[in-house]
Amino acid sequence: MHCGTTRRGLSRRSFLAATGAFGAAGLAAPRMAFSQDGTVLTLRSYSDLQVLDPAFRLSLPEDDIIRSIFAPLVIPEAGDVWGWKPIAVDSIEQLDDVTVAFKLKDNIGFTDGYGQMTAEDVKFSIERIADPAVESPYAGDWAALKSVEVKDRLSGLIHLNSKFVPLWTTTLPTPASCILSKKAMQELGDKITTKPVAQSGQYLLADWQPKQRTVLKRNPDWAHEPGGFEEIHIIPIEDPATAERGFEAGDLDYTWTSVSSLPRLKENPPAGSVVLEKPSLAYVWLGINQDAEPFTDIRIRRAVQHAIDRQTVVDAAYFGAASIGNGIIAPGLPGSRDSVTYDYDPDRARALLAEAGASNLSVTLDILNQSERLNAAQVIQANLAEVGINCEIKQNDSGTFWSLGSKDGDYYLKLQLVLSRFSMQPDPSWATVWFTPEQVGVWNWERFNDAEYKALHDQGLVTSGHAERDAIYRKMQGLMDESGCYVFLTHEVVGAIHRDTIEPGLKPNGESLFSEFRPA
Amino acid sequence: MLNYAVKRLLLAVAIVSVAMLLLFTMIYLIPGDPAAVALGPRATEAMREALIVKMGLDQPVWVQFWNFFTRAWMGDLGREVLSERPVAQVVMENLPFTMALIAGGMTWSVALGIPLGCWAAVKRGSWADRLVGVLSVAVIAVPSFVIAIYALLIFAVALRWLPAIGAGEPGNPGDQITHLILPSLAVGLGWVGYIARMVRASMLEVLEAQHIRTARAFGLPDAMITYRYALTIAILPTITLLGVGIGQMLSSAVFAEIVFARPGVGKLVYDAILTRNYPLVSGAVLVTTVLFVLLNLAADLLIGALDPRVRSKL
Repeated sequence: MHCGTTRRGLSRRSFLAATGAFGAAGLAAPRMAFSQDGTVLTLRSYSDLQVLDPAFRLSLPEDDIIRSIFAPLVIPEAGDVWGWKPIAVDSIEQLDDVTVAFKLKDNIGFTDGYGQMTAEDVKFSIERIADPAVESPYAGDWAALKSVEVKDRLSGLIHLNSKFVPLWTTTLPTPASCILSKKAMQELGDKITTKPVAQSGQYLLADWQPKQRTVLKRNPDWAHEPGGFEEIHIIPIEDPATAERGFEAGDLDYTWTSVSSLPRLKENPPAGSVVLEKPSLAYVWLGINQDAEPFTDIRIRRAVQHAIDRQTVVDAAYFGAASIGNGIIAPGLPGSRDSVTYDYDPDRARALLAEAGASNLSVTLDILNQSERLNAAQVIQANLAEVGINCEIKQNDSGTFWSLGSKDGDYYLKLQLVLSRFSMQPDPSWATVWFTPEQVGVWNWERFNDAEYKALHDQGLVTSGHAERDAIYRKMQGLMDESGCYVFLTHEVVGAIHRDTIEPGLKPNGESLFSEFRPA
Repeated sequence: MLNYAVKRLLLAVAIVSVAMLLLFTMIYLIPGDPAAVALGPRATEAMREALIVKMGLDQPVWVQFWNFFTRAWMGDLGREVLSERPVAQVVMENLPFTMALIAGGMTWSVALGIPLGCWAAVKRGSWADRLVGVLSVAVIAVPSFVIAIYALLIFAVALRWLPAIGAGEPGNPGDQITHLILPSLAVGLGWVGYIARMVRASMLEVLEAQHIRTARAFGLPDAMITYRYALTIAILPTITLLGVGIGQMLSSAVFAEIVFARPGVGKLVYDAILTRNYPLVSGAVLVTTVLFVLLNLAADLLIGALDPRVRSKL
């Protein structure tokens, strides 16, 4: 018997050689990204699709898919400057404050035998979202809509009740301008969920494997500028760290990254990749509930404003990748500010607390259970301790967190400090709308209640001059400062990474436009 | 045997009923407004109220429980809140991925754990025995998500031998198996230690038995004594352990599914809890519970079939 040989004749030596060869082959030919052949683009979205109806969409990845499969009138322009580009229209222009004229391209067809896209479909699609009976959460996008008038087969007029400045920034370039087939929708008799009918975009939804992937394929009947890839595979991955590993392993061509990973990725990018850093429109702030004790006293709210070292908070949370923000409106938009009216001054904070007769205060700070929020909260906790305020941090999962300030619950008056983050569209009204008196107990958890603020918000919606709007929105944020309810922290940054073989289609704030991705 | 099987089945029904009560109570106690979470910031008050009614959350709690209980026993798990797809369909789409993950994990643990346990028992007191002991404790002590992350970093990111994310191309079994290797290793490796320890302990006991001594006296080969005569008896406690292990692996599967971005029931429940998608949470957890109870029932019946002493005790 030969000790080194098995019964089947495979020697120990040959087994080791085969194993080594397998390993070497693996090293010599590592797995490569799908897009290397230029036909399939694989990218990550942070959630799976749930609803493909433009009137009931739930998330940004759905927006992207909807825009790709139902031709919109216009889409946001990819690049570093906010703008829009036509998709389903040959022309679209504002004739006066309350009238927009459009003319559709002549040969856009719906799938499933629903014929050509016409102005009737435009009328149906836009009026459907605005119709209160439909109960679309996006009815507000078309709040100023009076009607859509059909002029001929391809042309029409969009009539507004009043001037509506955000129309060109946050209504038309969103899925609110996606055109559905009137005939198909009337036959369906309900909203679209996950099975689209009568698709018309640059891509068609070819396959959806829930929680696995969504496959878009180029629309063979699309006669205009084609999508950049034969197929786009969209992989839902919620955790950014998982997506980053997936990219590094060669399974993805593009993904958003966490802000905390940006310094590492920028310093040492994976081979053949490009790391991007884009300014975000989001805003992060420490909210102070003015109806909850002890913050009913404005001196104590102001003390908190002066106690927080905003730079240190932001550095701790984002590892130096983000800079401090001075309001709710991001740089580049009307109303963006360079400073706030309170500075980091612990002595001033202690003096205000003494003036208010407050000592040995204990408060709670509610946050979402994410590492960036926790890091920020721990600095805030230390800052408050410096001025004699004991702060307990309460972490919440997203389901709990987003109900904390709701007037339907029982916590909204116990909520004292809250670290929040909202995202927005590229119009300042999208930021200011959540802090109006109507929003108290809905999304205005600080319960900031200022009639002048509301009047300014309404005025901003109908004012078109950049300078006038800038003044209005600066004034509004000044009122927020004065209330003592807000400590503005940052607008964050958006990190992304992609193969150097592709050219990503991104909005100025780093959000993706699937249909605008191209091979490099 | 039939009597034994009927008793075990009735016990399983009772366990599932109690689990349903606990499940409903836990879901009811979760804080947070499901309508607000589901519909987002742009929803109006009327829309939120409509969704609450649609989800049946406006009804008294006992009515909600009764509806849940009776419909679930009829096989109706309701519909997902937003996509309005049947919950049973959604769960069944994800269940095969979790089952594959657990089967893969079980394969790793059995394929490595049983031989290691036998080897340690046969080499009792030697360096091999000690090495297996140390390795077993080590893999038991390390959490599965740590194994998952390191396996991913080494084999997917650094070496690029295996994929890092996903479950593989639908309809391509080879690709799906490739995608299963790392997640199943992460789920199953800890159980290699448990099984190795259990098999070693059982084997040591059995190897001292008289019939084994007799076999040795007749000069039968060691391998035949170990695997044919000793292991077939020593394996019985391991089958029970595997039944429990499936439950443990179901919970470990959540981490593996998140780290490797795989679809599966664990991740489905995790996502549903975050979005307060109550019908999906209750449906998925219920299916998982039933699955766990059934697999344990199968393990019990198998032990009962193999060991008459167990049958006579129930």
